[in-house]
Amino acid sequence: MSSMSSPPNDHGREAQEHLDEMTCLLYLERQLERARALEVSAHTQSCDPCRTLMRAMERESRLLTRAMLEEEEPLPGRIAAFQERVHRSMQWVWMVVLGLAATAVYAMYTGYIEPWEQRLEQAGFGGTSLLSLLIFQGSFWKGWQSMISLVEILALVTLGGFAVIVARKRFRRGSALALVLTGLCAAAMVSGPPAAATEVRKGQTAEVRKDENIKGNVYLSGERVEVEGTVDGDVYAAGKDIEIDGHVTGDLISAGRSVWIRGQLDGNVRSAGNNLNVIGTVGKNISFFGDTIRIDEKGVVNGSVMMFGSDMNIEGRLGRDILFMGDRIDLNGVVGGSIDEKGAGLEIGSRAQVDGPIRFEGENEAIVSSGAKLASPVQFKKHVHKKEEFGRTSAFWTCVLLIAFASYGMVLFLAVPNFAQESVQSAENIGASLGLGLLVFFGVLIGSIIAMCTLIGLFVGFSSLFVWLIAVYAAQPVVGALIGQWILGRSKETWPLIGRMMLGIFIIRIATLLPHIGWLIKLGVVLWGLGAISLALYRRYQPAIPAQAPYVPPSAPLTPLTPAGGAAAV
Amino acid sequence: MDVQKPGRMNAAETRESGAIVARARAGDAEAWGDLYREFAPAIFRFCRRALPTREDAEDATMEIFMKIRDKLDQYDANRPFSSWLYKVAANHCWDMLRRRKIRQDKETDDLETLPLEHPDPSQLDQLIEKRTSEEVRKALDQLGSRARMALVLRYYSDMSYDEIADSLGVRRAFVGVVLLRARHELRQALEGTGAMAAGGAR
Repeated sequence: MSSMSSPPNDHGREAQEHLDEMTCLLYLERQLERARALEVSAHTQSCDPCRTLMRAMERESRLLTRAMLEEEEPLPGRIAAFQERVHRSMQWVWMVVLGLAATAVYAMYTGYIEPWEQRLEQAGFGGTSLLSLLIFQGSFWKGWQSMISLVEILALVTLGGFAVIVARKRFRRGSALALVLTGLCAAAMVSGPPAAATEVRKGQTAEVRKDENIKGNVYLSGERVEVEGTVDGDVYAAGKDIEIDGHVTGDLISAGRSVWIRGQLDGNVRSAGNNLNVIGTVGKNISFFGDTIRIDEKGVVNGSVMMFGSDMNIEGRLGRDILFMGDRIDLNGVVGGSIDEKGAGLEIGSRAQVDGPIRFEGENEAIVSSGAKLASPVQFKKHVHKKEEFGRTSAFWTCVLLIAFASYGMVLFLAVPNFAQESVQSAENIGASLGLGLLVFFGVLIGSIIAMCTLIGLFVGFSSLFVWLIAVYAAQPVVGALIGQWILGRSKETWPLIGRMMLGIFIIRIATLLPHIGWLIKLGVVLWGLGAISLALYRRYQPAIPAQAPYVPPSAPLTPLTPAGGAAAV
Repeated sequence: MDVQKPGRMNAAETRESGAIVARARAGDAEAWGDLYREFAPAIFRFCRRALPTREDAEDATMEIFMKIRDKLDQYDANRPFSSWLYKVAANHCWDMLRRRKIRQDKETDDLETLPLEHPDPSQLDQLIEKRTSEEVRKALDQLGSRARMALVLRYYSDMSYDEIADSLGVRRAFVGVVLLRARHELRQALEGTGAMAAGGAR
């Protein structure tokens, strides 16, 4: 090995011997002592091969430096975006977004979800998840009014975001993403679903006049929707009041506050809204999500009725069964099939006739009038409150859910390890993830439901909802992995990360068992994880920042050899 | 060298960086953002040269800056900030390679037995003359971790032999050998697999 001052194989000492490569390198890199450097310099003046070697090695150094310094590829977008994370001054943007969104959630919860939750709890549906509440009640109860409120809130959030853009010179990607998503959601909702082919009618009052006969499907939206003529196809209706007084040969798919069927409808009714009133005839079945369904004395439904909601009042005639989950049923009409009810009450009046079995699970036994004609006595089952069962079942279900989430997370982490790691990394940005999660959670959900209300958007709606569900359930593994990393330290390897995820999920599941705040923790974890996944997705597909022009160092001529270590040429 | 390396800043740049670092240390978020904007591209390129994949380089860049933010109090303002930054980056990347078990830890055995040859100067000259930067970068990717890291530390970050010795965990006296060996590996890679390096005995 060559030492700095005296390499063992000291070729340079004799004029006819050549310098070894190590000596040349150390000379070029100014690592030789002054005296030795002078000797080397003197030697290269007289020895052509050594001078050539020295120049070749110097050129090699230049080539190496140039190759390394050149910017041959663009700076990845995620590195540029990462600046947000270190740029703490932008955190207040997320606080604003989060604050506005939290207000929206609070308003939505106290205004719509909580009252329904209480009612369902009384009715024996304490275990109903927040998700089903959102889908079946939160969004549809009172029809579009709640939707409009949400649009207003989202618009406010967007407005706040734009104010931030104006106020700030530099606006970064994560925040922009939140705003873009919010804006898109709001815009999508305000503009409404695109119209399909066939007949489309909009306006204050969208109607099919008495003398009209429409072949094919018809789409009607307006404050008031009226069908007085004949529609030889399906009717898709959205509005405050929907009235079917004419003849519809197909189905009615509707969302609105009140639906009145006074005419003849040969197909099915699939409706969401405040109340549904049947005074005319429905040829097939009714599926209704909403507050009240009423089948008038003159009303006839040839098929079954399935309802998730509050009250059912039947005075007319039903050809087949009733499946009901809600508050109570008042029956004074004819039911050709069976009744299955899970609710608070069942009252069967003197004019009632039921040809099939009646199964009722509720708080109190059914009230049956002596004049009622029943095929068999009511089979009553007392509802057992969730709290009474909690002790026995909670541990079991906690274990089942723990294993389910861990397995789901494991599959996810093995299937897409890189994306999983990116999601976990994004989750470290808690503020941004929570804000974005909130927007995606409600935005995509509502957007999908709206899309599903239209024929053309049905597939898009289902697909979005499916992806959304995958992401919602992936939220816990992502947050779990991050919590696991906080405890056990970071890991880029897949299996150690899965181990950390399992530990994290265990902690989360335990935390969600806490009374009063457990549900809040669960919601927070879902929003956090969902936001992290959205952020990772965005970062993955965002455009890269173009590179600056490649740096090409000036091609300076090879300088004459000068002594290293400050020595003067000999 | 005429090329200004990332690790070497002129006096004005050093003063400017020093001022920004001082503000960042005082908790000025804007200053921290400025530091990131100024140094992130160079650190990313450093990681890109030192680590096997682009994804690794991206991860490492972000982790290095997280580390820098946490350790900013430990920075000695009398030294150039870029030197300290590269030192942290080098340690991080080297540690990352060690954790991945792809770092070569056969330290001094082969270094001591390196033949001190006089390569054919004209052959070496020809080899270097013909090569483009892109070819060199591809050849660098084929090197062992230590050889590549040594070249990156020296010719990209402009680290001193003492700093390289410290980063790679070898004795200072062996740094030249590590670099020369790395150059031999590079020449072999440039010539193609199985070909003899230009540094053959004359």
